[in-house]
Amino acid sequence: MTSTIDPTSSDARRIGSGNALRLREFVRSTDFTLIVLAAAGFVVLASTTGGNLFTGQTLKAVFQYLAVPILVGLAQMAVLAVGQMNLSVGVVTGFTAMVAAWLMVRVGLPAPVAVLAAVLLGGAIGLANGLLVVLTRINGFIVTLATMTVIDGLRYGVNGTGTFQNYSSGLVKLGQGSLVDVPNVFILAVLVALAVAVFFRRAVLGRQLLASGGNPLAARLSGISNDRAIVMAHVLSGLLAGVAGIVDVALSGSVNASIGDDLLLPSFAAPIIGGVALTGGVVAVLGTCLAAFIVRLIDVAQAQYSIDKSWVDLIVGAVVLGAVLVTQVRIGKKGART
Amino acid sequence: MNVPMQQSDATVPTDELATESAQRPPRGLPFWANPRLGLLAVIVVLVLVFSSLRSSFLNTDLTLVPMQQDLSVFLVVGLAQLAVLSLGHMNLAVPRMAAISAFAMGWCYQHLSVPLWLGLVAGLIVGAAVGALAGWIISATGVNSFVVTLALDFALVGLVSLLYSHIGDGVAFAAHPAGMNTLRNDTFSDYCAGNVCGPPVPLIVPIALLAAVLVALLFRLSRVGREILMTGSNARAARLSGIPVSRRVVQAHALSGTLAALAGFLLAINSGAFSADIGNSFLLPSFLGPVLGGTLLSGGAVSVLGTIFGAALTEVIRTGLNLLNFSVQDLNIYIGLVLLVALSLDRVRHVLAERRGSRA
Repeated sequence: MTSTIDPTSSDARRIGSGNALRLREFVRSTDFTLIVLAAAGFVVLASTTGGNLFTGQTLKAVFQYLAVPILVGLAQMAVLAVGQMNLSVGVVTGFTAMVAAWLMVRVGLPAPVAVLAAVLLGGAIGLANGLLVVLTRINGFIVTLATMTVIDGLRYGVNGTGTFQNYSSGLVKLGQGSLVDVPNVFILAVLVALAVAVFFRRAVLGRQLLASGGNPLAARLSGISNDRAIVMAHVLSGLLAGVAGIVDVALSGSVNASIGDDLLLPSFAAPIIGGVALTGGVVAVLGTCLAAFIVRLIDVAQAQYSIDKSWVDLIVGAVVLGAVLVTQVRIGKKGART
Repeated sequence: MNVPMQQSDATVPTDELATESAQRPPRGLPFWANPRLGLLAVIVVLVLVFSSLRSSFLNTDLTLVPMQQDLSVFLVVGLAQLAVLSLGHMNLAVPRMAAISAFAMGWCYQHLSVPLWLGLVAGLIVGAAVGALAGWIISATGVNSFVVTLALDFALVGLVSLLYSHIGDGVAFAAHPAGMNTLRNDTFSDYCAGNVCGPPVPLIVPIALLAAVLVALLFRLSRVGREILMTGSNARAARLSGIPVSRRVVQAHALSGTLAALAGFLLAINSGAFSADIGNSFLLPSFLGPVLGGTLLSGGAVSVLGTIFGAALTEVIRTGLNLLNFSVQDLNIYIGLVLLVALSLDRVRHVLAERRGSRA
């Protein structure tokens, strides 16, 4: 089963291999490269800014604003797992954030209800995406391009260009607070990432998604419904985007419809740098989180050195290109060896 | 190679069918299975509806001329995407290829004071070079075109705004080369021979149409164009039959970059300045035109005529809803819904046509 899912990324999963071999496998893996890169980047950044990075507030901000990139990266990863794409991740995040705030401010619902409703709304949008893909057989790229456009409009329909603020102070306190110096929203993102990792590694449904993404024909022959896999992946993606929306609401204390505008490209950057293939069948939860962290470091560097913001885009673009090239070279070498 | 998305197996037979029907009138299928015909009908109906709701929809100066100007831009934008859809690739960097070419053109006009056509040529060369770079990376590494052009777009976003702020003049060039305003403001009705004046068609329309005709001829008649399509429908078979696949990939992407540059030029003419925000609105329209027009993402078949209709449909909806006082955001909702409905109907039509075809 594992071999149909993904013959190339056998990180520490090969049965009957010794510890040394497993260690060597790990050193060669994308995750290891990313860990080294992230650590090196963090150390360089911390030392060149004179330890500024280690002061409580800065360090806290680094991780606070890491939560949303991790969540949208995972949201994209969920659909990449079945070989689909979800261009609506960014706008769904913005839309659910607006709806949550609207429910609290205008409708007057208590925060927990609004939060739950917004996450479910994200899931419902994902369900719609998935059903459209499966029922119409239109390419997922085009379907989500269309729903992205629609939701972009709806997002502004909630409150125009206006801002919602002064909603539930409890939620904002929770969002901006921290547990023993670790920001709550970061803990939430890590817990969600763990849940997603367990889902893809242990749950039957998660394995089915991967099998379907890796080889639809083989999956169908072994009794897995590819259609169901596609729908479930989109639902999961929508739910995660909804959670990202909630984090935005809780973290910022005021939201407007421009939330999510700048999330589309990062949502792809994190999983792709993290080693997820666009063809499906592979997920890399740790890689996605690490990649999101590296992209975040570039952002922090921009703020710390007060560089022109444009450099961030340029560097992230170059890093993504570099990452895919390195992955390709590595796969090529592996193929030549075996 | 590199089909950007996994499609589930059930779609494969239909896609093959569509590939055939997009190239020549389908033999086994009834005439209404032709997506172009449906598009034309929808456009006619919408024009009738909008013009009965708002008589100003048929006003020449207020509506028709600006509509043709916008349409010219979006047609060329659609062609830029179509050039790589022929391969089964995507070019998400169309917006920024247009932006960086527009920068090159503006810089040439500002600092070298070159005539209008020479600046255009320089811009087209820059566009072609960036496109070729994308194509080269894709063919040399075998990485999915979506990822490569997405990353390239990301990089170019940064590069363009750095260029404008460091060696440009802030966010736009002030230069207006001779002929730019003529091209912008005049229509053929301003040129009269005796008592006979031309139709109220803006001067940039022929440029866009010429581009469309050239692209159509390229894919229909030229060896390079046919070989690009063969590469798109089956890269392995193409390679085995001696087609230089990677060169064709580079060429198709260079064509895409060139057309993106032309679109940037036309937009700059329309808006009156070579500025940093050129291309920002190009991504969605670049897919709308070709996809509505029946060009598949899987490659191997293109429809230039369909792209013209697809772009026209979008433009009619945009203008009509604008006249009916819909906000920009509402517009987005409707355009997205139209895309979904149009594609779903297309699917229904195919299924029906197939059923009838198999019965016959």
